[in-house]
Amino acid sequence: MTRTTDSTARRLLLKALFGAASTLPFAKLSFSAVDKSAAKNQKRFVMVILRGGMDGLQAVPAVGDADFAPARGPLAQFAQPALPLDATFALHPNLVQLQAMFQQGELGVVHAVGLAYRERSHFDAQQVLESGSSRPYELATGWLGRALGGQNGVQNSKGLALTTTVPLVLRGSSAIDTWVPSNAPDPSVDLVNRMERMYGADPALAAALSRARALHFDGTMASNVSAEMTAPGRGNNFTVLASRAAEFLAQADGPQAVVLELGGWDTHANQANPNGAFANNMRQLDSGLAALRVGLLPSGTWQNTVVVVVSEFGREVAMNGTQGTDHGTGGVAFVLGGKVNGGRVWGDWPGLAKKDRFEGRDLRITTDIRSVLKGVLADHMSVPARALNADVFPGSEALRGLALLRA
Amino acid sequence: MNHAASIAAHRFGLGEPTLAALQNDPQAWLLAQIGPADAARGEGLLNTDQAVAHVTAEAENRRLAKNPPPGMTAEQVLAGHYREVIAADVRSRFNTAVQTQRPFAERLAWFWANHFTVSLTKGTVRGLVGAFERDAIRPFIAGSFEQMLVASTTHPAMLRYLDNNQSAGPNSTFATRVARRASAQAQNPAPSMDAMEPRRVVGLNENLAREVLELHTLGAANGRADQAGGYRQADVTALASVLTGWRVGQQTDAINRFDAAWHEPGRKTVLGKNYEAGPEALRAVLHDLAEHPATARFIATKLARHFIADEPPASVIDKLTAAYLRSHGQLSEVYRELIRSPEAWATQALKLKTPEEFVVSTVRVLGTNSRLEDRPAAGLMNNAGGVINTLGQRPHAAPSPAGWPDKAVDWLGPEAVWQRMEWATRVADRVGRTLDARTLAAASLGSQLSDGTRLQIERAADGPQALALLLMSPEFQRR
Repeated sequence: MTRTTDSTARRLLLKALFGAASTLPFAKLSFSAVDKSAAKNQKRFVMVILRGGMDGLQAVPAVGDADFAPARGPLAQFAQPALPLDATFALHPNLVQLQAMFQQGELGVVHAVGLAYRERSHFDAQQVLESGSSRPYELATGWLGRALGGQNGVQNSKGLALTTTVPLVLRGSSAIDTWVPSNAPDPSVDLVNRMERMYGADPALAAALSRARALHFDGTMASNVSAEMTAPGRGNNFTVLASRAAEFLAQADGPQAVVLELGGWDTHANQANPNGAFANNMRQLDSGLAALRVGLLPSGTWQNTVVVVVSEFGREVAMNGTQGTDHGTGGVAFVLGGKVNGGRVWGDWPGLAKKDRFEGRDLRITTDIRSVLKGVLADHMSVPARALNADVFPGSEALRGLALLRA
Repeated sequence: MNHAASIAAHRFGLGEPTLAALQNDPQAWLLAQIGPADAARGEGLLNTDQAVAHVTAEAENRRLAKNPPPGMTAEQVLAGHYREVIAADVRSRFNTAVQTQRPFAERLAWFWANHFTVSLTKGTVRGLVGAFERDAIRPFIAGSFEQMLVASTTHPAMLRYLDNNQSAGPNSTFATRVARRASAQAQNPAPSMDAMEPRRVVGLNENLAREVLELHTLGAANGRADQAGGYRQADVTALASVLTGWRVGQQTDAINRFDAAWHEPGRKTVLGKNYEAGPEALRAVLHDLAEHPATARFIATKLARHFIADEPPASVIDKLTAAYLRSHGQLSEVYRELIRSPEAWATQALKLKTPEEFVVSTVRVLGTNSRLEDRPAAGLMNNAGGVINTLGQRPHAAPSPAGWPDKAVDWLGPEAVWQRMEWATRVADRVGRTLDARTLAAASLGSQLSDGTRLQIERAADGPQALALLLMSPEFQRR
């Protein structure tokens, strides 16, 4: 509580110095942040982007499908037994906490999910995933940015990315902040004031600076980063970022939508190595998502939060010549949160026999990722169907949103 | 011509403390720089052969260190760690850029190193990135594109970064041998250690083939199957077959990078053209890719985007494309066309500097290495790589094969601006009392210095604040 009092006092001082502090995006948050329960009634959405193309069949192996072991060869072997979900599917052995959430009904998996785009380029696929289009470079802003910023969008909406710059998925709304831990002392208020005057003729720099100032000088954000979190070598690891995301989300006037990223999924070689990149990434994802949940539970925010975890594509079903997998199409998404009707694997399973694969090589996509996202935006964030079809995912009328939440 | 001098120094260069030397003829100043990049400055730099030998020895040492030979400690075994090679490479990249008299050539070297990204984010490439820049990029930046394409595609760092090192033709001698051994083992399951290991599978890895087409030549935006220059999955697989055999084994030397035993036999068809088996096929494919109009347009667009604007005018892309095609990919001709294009000299600076450009141009503008070697400023030089890393662009560690992004929107987040300001403040606190930011602003930015910025610098509370304002000014953040 001392911290809150201190930061409130600091903020009052800053408000006096800044004059116009009350117009800052998060300026009011600090006063009401004392009553964290206020966040209980506000919906929260978290998007986790796994960049590089996560192999959905390694994360959620179809161990009960008779074609799985022959199709995957050595990749079907795990160092420890995979964690069962149902008769067909299991989780990678490192997703221990996700399995617990699944068993409690708070997490579900969408399998054989993917984009309308099928060409297997990371960069085009990420553009499509984030822009919400069906072709690369058709749209220059992101679907989440449009959902937050549109006239029919989420009410009173703010977005936050735990990255240095704004990822494409959030572009299109003006109320977007970015934040990463830093242990450098804040520059002086006076300098920032002068810089704002200097940026009068450069709107882009002015906007970035003003949002950064609000985040840093409003006190609750950056002042309480523990030394452990920013210790050298720890970097901005995913678990730290997820914990910080939970703190932002739990605040009464915090962001409605948060974007987190975890890279390193482009496993062209040695994918099944129990100490390799894929296994480590699984561990990070597991502990990060668990940290997010734990951070949101005390304030009750977890009950009003839906988290969607996706990657730009899955990978080829068969192992390549180097114990890894090359780029493919269909993959998996995770959907979790207090109100998620989880404990199940959604989607039509296309099977793994060669004839059932896309172009004879990839897991066939049977669910468009936009169906997952439309369902969550409609049922959870109350984005009207008209806005979803016209602005957020233009041209997606034919795709029905999936019902993924408990009534 | 004062505007032009400032534009030449900042948009095409890396910042100058004074514009006096290029005031007379800024275009000539740039044109005279076209040529191979400067020799990299610094000590402890390894050439490609040495670097490969070093990382090979390093891997061996790491095995040895687990069980050090009698009379040696693990630390002694691990002395001469590749971290020192990486640190020397990063220091060299920074110092070369800070000290060069040919900053336009240096910017081009950075551009191409980013176009042909190899990154130490992949463990097997650590210790090779600097050698890659020095041997596969810097000598070739003003030659033919094809030459640089061949040099980069067959460099050990690229072969490892995009997994070609392990890609074997499914019908190659090597793959057949492995398969035969495996089936012999299956028939005679002796309880040896070997038999306990999982069966080794060998075959194609498409990674390098796909990125050569998508990122290095035809381009992703051009590369859709329904468009001119488009390629299909079959082209990727065929090029992967052409690439088999190009590798650096633990025991092979770096010069002879083709191992016929790993090469897929038979003719391959890439983009409708047939290529016979053997090492010559790669050169032939790369020649055809370098001559392809889609490649010309892709390179022209990237260059225009890098130097002029995030969304460069179509007119200038057309001119650069034409220069490329006319000259069969002679890059010096493309640069001359760029410098001669009026679109490149628009007064308003639209490009946001990358973190590395910001840090290097700061140090160059603060100038006089002697001052930077003063005790209070020495810290700036010692950990430049660390600073650039903190600002989001760890040198030699681009996040993906696509390299660092080249649009403002990818660098201009609230947190990014804040971090630049934190660093500018620290720099200004160290050197801001020893120089006059008002004079420096006028000398370095010339007539590009706006009245608004000049006023803020003049009115600053003290020297350090004035310098921080200069470094954070739109005129200095953009180019």
